[in-house]
Amino acid sequence: MSINGLSRRALLQSIAFGSALSVASSIPGISFSASGGKLTVRFNRDMDSLDPGYYVGGHPDNDVNWCCMPALVHYDYVDGMAVWAKSPFVDRVEVVSPTRIEFKLKSGLMWSNGYGELTSEDVAFSYDRMAQSEWKGDYVAYDRTEIADKYSGALILKQAFAPFMTQTLSSGTGVIISKKATEAVGGKFTNDVPATCGPYVMEWKQGQYVRMTRNPEWTGTKPQYDEIYCPIVTEDSAAALAYEAGELDVAQISSDTYARYLKQVPADSKLTVAGALQYMWLGMNIDNPKMKDIRVRQAIQHAVDVSAINQGAYSGTAELSSGIVCPGLVGKRNQTGYSYDPAKAKALLDEAGVSGLSLTLRTLNNQERILASTIIQANLAAIGIAVEIMPLDSGPFWEMGQESKGDTWKDMEIWLMRYGSGPDPYGAFQWFVRDQVGIWNWERWSSDEFEKLYVELVAVSEAEERHKIAIRMQEIMEETGAYVFLTHEPEVFVHRDNISPRFAPSGETMLSYFKA
Amino acid sequence: MSEIASNKALESAKKDQGIKGHMSESREKLSLFLNNRLGMFGLMLVVLFFVSAIFAPYFATHDPFLMNIPQRMSGPTLEHWAGTDQLGRDTYSRVIYGGRVALKVAAIGVSISLFVGLLLGMLAGYGPRWLDNFLLLIFDSIRSFPTIVLALAAVALLGPSLELVLAVVIVTSIPGYARLARTSTLALKNTEFILAERSLGAHPAIIMWRHIMPNVIGPLLILAAMDVPVVVTIEAGLSFLGLGVLPPTASWGTILNEGYLVIRDTPWPIIAGGIPLVLTTLGFTFLGEALRDVFDPRLRKGK
Repeated sequence: MSINGLSRRALLQSIAFGSALSVASSIPGISFSASGGKLTVRFNRDMDSLDPGYYVGGHPDNDVNWCCMPALVHYDYVDGMAVWAKSPFVDRVEVVSPTRIEFKLKSGLMWSNGYGELTSEDVAFSYDRMAQSEWKGDYVAYDRTEIADKYSGALILKQAFAPFMTQTLSSGTGVIISKKATEAVGGKFTNDVPATCGPYVMEWKQGQYVRMTRNPEWTGTKPQYDEIYCPIVTEDSAAALAYEAGELDVAQISSDTYARYLKQVPADSKLTVAGALQYMWLGMNIDNPKMKDIRVRQAIQHAVDVSAINQGAYSGTAELSSGIVCPGLVGKRNQTGYSYDPAKAKALLDEAGVSGLSLTLRTLNNQERILASTIIQANLAAIGIAVEIMPLDSGPFWEMGQESKGDTWKDMEIWLMRYGSGPDPYGAFQWFVRDQVGIWNWERWSSDEFEKLYVELVAVSEAEERHKIAIRMQEIMEETGAYVFLTHEPEVFVHRDNISPRFAPSGETMLSYFKA
Repeated sequence: MSEIASNKALESAKKDQGIKGHMSESREKLSLFLNNRLGMFGLMLVVLFFVSAIFAPYFATHDPFLMNIPQRMSGPTLEHWAGTDQLGRDTYSRVIYGGRVALKVAAIGVSISLFVGLLLGMLAGYGPRWLDNFLLLIFDSIRSFPTIVLALAAVALLGPSLELVLAVVIVTSIPGYARLARTSTLALKNTEFILAERSLGAHPAIIMWRHIMPNVIGPLLILAAMDVPVVVTIEAGLSFLGLGVLPPTASWGTILNEGYLVIRDTPWPIIAGGIPLVLTTLGFTFLGEALRDVFDPRLRKGK
């Protein structure tokens, strides 16, 4: 007996094999160890784009860019505090005044593919371009770059901007790209970077791995490892198993695994919490006809049991969120204006005259988000809102709210979202200004007061004043009803105890700084 | 008159013999089936599968969607026979309700595939040559797609859902039935009784409905019985991969997937989700093979 040309046994075997393969394919076929100059690091998703002006950002795009692309400054740590430090690409970076940062590039650093030497013209091109890009929020205070000579110049700011060094230049958007190479490919690129310049060169196999090997043309400080192999292991459990089996040297782990490792760390291993500069929320599209009535949105705010989400989806390892400013930063809120109160939620729905409401909850298709979505689904069902969960892969998920990527934004109702932040509260707010509606402000609200406060937050440098501004801005966000603030997830890594890692405050690995 | 009476008596005797022969044959088949231990075991498992799925609310001890987060990932207790999952839901009750998804996919998927496959197969076998060639091209094109790959492509376009699983199962199963129906129809097409019908001017639809279908449906029904475990496994496989039913619906595949993710914390969801899948697959396989042995005399003689 055969089905579709296969015997039943063969078909069953194929299905079993296919299922196993789908899991196993995310586990590296070849293992490396930290010894011998090779480092194997888990990437939990594939790269979307390496163009700093038009990428999603975060991991793994920044991880790769910091190995293969120049920057003026990188993150370093002093007494556990994230600070900026000059990168291996420069001889000098100096903040000579609140609006003037001077730099001198090292000479002889060559772009790949014959695009010549890294020059101050590339710096000017990169930052002028960033100021016009989708990430222009990071460059809100940037005015221009004055070129002094081939290697020297100065960044001029329109006004003093406290986080320019630690937020703008040190983060992934501070990466410098080759002017000639970028213009040669039409001004934008994705993962086919037209020219790289850094301690490593990259080889990428879509959906499988990123391999970075020493750049033979690199004349700067040599990094520790000859080769950094980054298999794309999307499954958290597979990653933990691969780590325990010795297939990985460094792996980002899920909250369940973190909770388990807190009880017993694997042999010869350490846990490092890279930061908790993540803010996760349940977003609502106020332009969607189902969500127009603020009482419906407020009902949802009161209906979601955030503590249950932390316990059920994150094993209690995340910090509950009251806003978008992350723990340890100026402007962190300690309490929301709403609380878990299903009776009040039901009353708000009744007041709005809404019954039989059904909503689609869009989320990234991973374990923690699905669990969180399932809890929200149950919470909303308790007040009479039927929720269908729509799990999405990262590609369609990150495009769904962008007007430039199609019409999906019109259908969006509610979704689970998580952004990463830099070490300054400004970084979190930039995505919710009016200019970002239809780009990254998927809730699609705007407020004159918020815009005014945003400008003040950029200009003011006094911590107490900035705290007050940030608090008020989060209150405005909450008052739209478009947010249920959920958690600040820690970015936790397990690694061999002979490895000394370095992470960005937002949790990306800075692999060229890893030491054995 | 006496001659007529004699003929009637003869016909009556023949008829009695026919009925007795038919009854005797049925009894023989029943006896063969009853004596097939694996077949009986399979039947028992299949009955258990149907009964537990249909009467799931009576078998389940808890609401399968009811969360009890403080009790998440607990082992088996008197209250939770198979422990709880990550959200503290009762795993045993979710397994019982998961049977409904398997039953739904199997029953609807196999029935529609069988019906459409039978229809297209008869059309291919009895219709004009060009139609046969065209349908064969379609069947072979579909068969060239591995089910999982087709499902991945469909999910990428339309998003995961139970309906999509059903559609994939139906589309990929139809050619198997159609091929079998076509072969049987081709064998029957030039038999004397069909030629006689055609010479009497019977409409092709009538010939296919009254004369061909009753003769080709038997092997298809056996194939259907043996297809059920395949379909159940496909649904579980797709749901395991996150391409099947959506949360919070319980399916054996999603239970296995959720269990796999926390296997280092608790093995019980994997065990509880795996056992019914194994038993159902075995049950339908044993039953199908027993039916085949009973209804296919060539196999019996071969033994």
